Amino acid sequence: MITQASVISARFGKPDSCSLAGYRADGGYAVFLDALKTKQPADLVATVKESGLRGRGGAGFSTGMKWSFVPKGTQKPIYLCVNGDESEPGTFKDRQILELDPHQLLEGVALTCYAIGSHVCYVYLRCEFAEGIRKVQAAIDEAYAAGLFGKDIDGSGFDLEVYIATGAGAYICGEETSLLNSIEGVRPYPRNKPPFPAVEGLFGCPTIINNVETIANIPHIVKNGAAWHAALGSKDDPGTRLWCVSGHVNKPGVFEIETGFSLQELIDGPCGGIRNGGLLKAVIPGGSSSRVLTVDEVARAKMDATSMREIGSSLGSAGIIVLDETTDMVDAVLNLMKFYAHESCGQCTPCREGTPWVVKVLERLMSGEGRASDMDLLLDIADNMEGRTVCALADGACWPLISIIEKFRHEFEAKLRAPATPVSA
Amino acid sequence: MTKLTIDGQEVEVADDLNVLEAAASIGIEIPHYCYHPDLGADGNCRMCLVQVGENTRKLPVSCMTPCGEGMDVQTASPAVVKARKGVLEFLLINHPLDCTICDQAGECPLQDYTYRFGPGDSRFVEQKSKKPKQVEFSDKVMFDAERCILCTRCVRFFTDKRDCKPLGIENMGGKNEITLAPSGPLDDPYQMNIIDLCPVGALTSRDFRFKQRVWFMDFADTICPGCARGCNTTAGAYQNKLLRFVPRRNPDVNSSWMCDDGRLSYAQYDLAERVRGAKVYGEAVDWQAAYDKVAELVGDGSGVAVLASTRQTNEELYALKNWAGSAGITSLWHGAASWAGDDFLKLADATPNTAGAAALGYEPAPDAPSGLRGLIVSGDVDVPAGLLAGLDFVVLQAPVGGSLGAAAVVLLPGRTGVEKKGVWVNADGLAQQVRPAISPGADVPQDWTLWRDMAGAVWPTLKHLQDEMAAAGASTPATAGSVADNP
Repeated sequence: MITQASVISARFGKPDSCSLAGYRADGGYAVFLDALKTKQPADLVATVKESGLRGRGGAGFSTGMKWSFVPKGTQKPIYLCVNGDESEPGTFKDRQILELDPHQLLEGVALTCYAIGSHVCYVYLRCEFAEGIRKVQAAIDEAYAAGLFGKDIDGSGFDLEVYIATGAGAYICGEETSLLNSIEGVRPYPRNKPPFPAVEGLFGCPTIINNVETIANIPHIVKNGAAWHAALGSKDDPGTRLWCVSGHVNKPGVFEIETGFSLQELIDGPCGGIRNGGLLKAVIPGGSSSRVLTVDEVARAKMDATSMREIGSSLGSAGIIVLDETTDMVDAVLNLMKFYAHESCGQCTPCREGTPWVVKVLERLMSGEGRASDMDLLLDIADNMEGRTVCALADGACWPLISIIEKFRHEFEAKLRAPATPVSA
Repeated sequence: MTKLTIDGQEVEVADDLNVLEAAASIGIEIPHYCYHPDLGADGNCRMCLVQVGENTRKLPVSCMTPCGEGMDVQTASPAVVKARKGVLEFLLINHPLDCTICDQAGECPLQDYTYRFGPGDSRFVEQKSKKPKQVEFSDKVMFDAERCILCTRCVRFFTDKRDCKPLGIENMGGKNEITLAPSGPLDDPYQMNIIDLCPVGALTSRDFRFKQRVWFMDFADTICPGCARGCNTTAGAYQNKLLRFVPRRNPDVNSSWMCDDGRLSYAQYDLAERVRGAKVYGEAVDWQAAYDKVAELVGDGSGVAVLASTRQTNEELYALKNWAGSAGITSLWHGAASWAGDDFLKLADATPNTAGAAALGYEPAPDAPSGLRGLIVSGDVDVPAGLLAGLDFVVLQAPVGGSLGAAAVVLLPGRTGVEKKGVWVNADGLAQQVRPAISPGADVPQDWTLWRDMAGAVWPTLKHLQDEMAAAGASTPATAGSVADNP
């Protein structure tokens, strides 16, 4: 049985969920104001480290560890950037936070800045999140007016400026160094690493970049303690997450659940099973950049980082895309590959040239002009892209491509004998 | 210093070198497109990837990888060889492969690396992407987006070296294109360097386009005659006609650059009319008759001065000085020419060897000397009107006669800066080798041989002359190091 949790989503849908008054009525900002008085920044970093919180953007890196990479005693300003460029296909959880409880995010921003010694935060939001941008800006304005942001907050001597920076709708800007370049106003090509942003990030200064959901967790962890968080869900990947379920289920949506649950139970329970009483064919479990799971794998899948690694996939951004028996897997992977080809920034040769090539081969397969060598060709193109580029976009294209060919090769082979199949939109 | 292993060889390198540079320092070439020694690394082409340790899943680009103590680098492991082949295949799938009509053919790293490291055939059976062709970036530069591999060297040349942004990238992914910025035209006076920087035929010289296949051309590693900077250049000629200058790398002088004015100055050495053979009062005579006439005019040398061009080589100036001494002439002057210099490479002194002439004892010509009855002019030099007033005679030895040649009693031929061999000393005192790119023929001998023969000096070859100069301490100008020879 799946039990839905109520931490990040606790205030979603409440009448006054976006206003400062509503947030404070639920105890909001008390954690931040208390931390300013009673906690040292290093204590907060230690708490988050002990909590076991992993980044919710996709890579799943330890948040506290990331924070500790800021060089000690740096003379440069330290920046916090909140990554709200949410654009991984199948992912729509940060949007919920932005639109339904923006102050939860902003209190997380304030606590994080205090913890890492930052006095400036950029909340980077994709421009399509018009509603979220409005809500977050209104919340920022309220926080300034209430003296929660600005100079000498609550007489503590701590200053904090928070700005919204908007992207222009490019997936690549969710890559953290592209995001930095976008804020700086230059072409958002991902940067080669090292140097890592924690050492040399925004405007050449130490910068921490965290996902919206990651930051939204911080007030709860500081309030309830590291042990509380560490005890939620799976031991090595604890906490609750906002799981986005889309595709061929009866009740798609965002579900907050502690890690470690059964994927099959999520589909059968809260999601109401497969649409039209049909059969499951496959699940892409962690946003479009993760490896596909077959029916058997879904039945075994436990939703935490370690279990997913064991099964050969990843939780990524928690975007669970459910595909039923009617799905043409060649068409599905073509749809995904069109996205990556469209969103490749074009900096690195393998991704710039490889992703459109993959699209062309898949389109040819769909058109009935496929060749028996095409599947191996696609796998080899993927082999020449994966791990050969600056950022992980090409990897993210390769993982679904490779896994879908390997696990559904018979569907590709069937195309060789079939007339043209119409490509879905 | 950092110690690491590259292809099994231990190497100790300076801490600031990247792996690509460290490999180059021990003679291991890692193929690359976006990295350039004078532009640095960008990491976009992915051609220079290498294997570090046992990790074949991630292959880092050597140009962006700092050397680490104890690092084990492989530049030709099976994983690297395959990945490199893959990068080349990616670069070629949408490339038009129009080498047959491409000016870059024959000096194209895309051809060369494909030949050495690339796949032998193509697995690409799709429609190639279409992009703009024959885009006039400026009156000097033509762009072909289909050939472009988006290494951004051209963009970075302007941003990093010229502090301007006439070029950028538009669109995304496979549609990426280098484009002119809307903010203004491409008018930088060093813009043609992007043609050499471009590792493919995407940026071509509108001046050189379609003139000749480079493999039919002859090349001379020489020095730009345009100014006192002495930019190292490679002069290219076809059937004894000069077709272009391109810069030749010398980190101490011009890095990999030269100015457009210097680059395009090659055309001025295609002389429609020039002095051939010897003339006295406009009549062709044999060499000895001309020499005799010069001796007769000069007499004991009193009231006679020598005016040499600072486009002459040290050897020519030495031979001239040697003759002047034997003829009793004590006034050794040099001319001057200037154009608008800038703060990058181009110097106001528009001649290549002022420092060499000065070191050999030539002094700037006076405006209006008194008591002068005759002037011996050697080389391509503007003679100030004040020098010519009231002269009994002028002897001119130069490539082109012009009005002065018409007035000269004795007229002797001379070679241009692209026809001679010797040494020029640049403004920083660096002595550099000058080599002939074209030859004007037997009736225009090397300048120094004329003055040798007039003086009766016996230097059977230029080498003998240079040996004598070395012995006399005349080959090394005061501030010069050793002769820089195509570093």
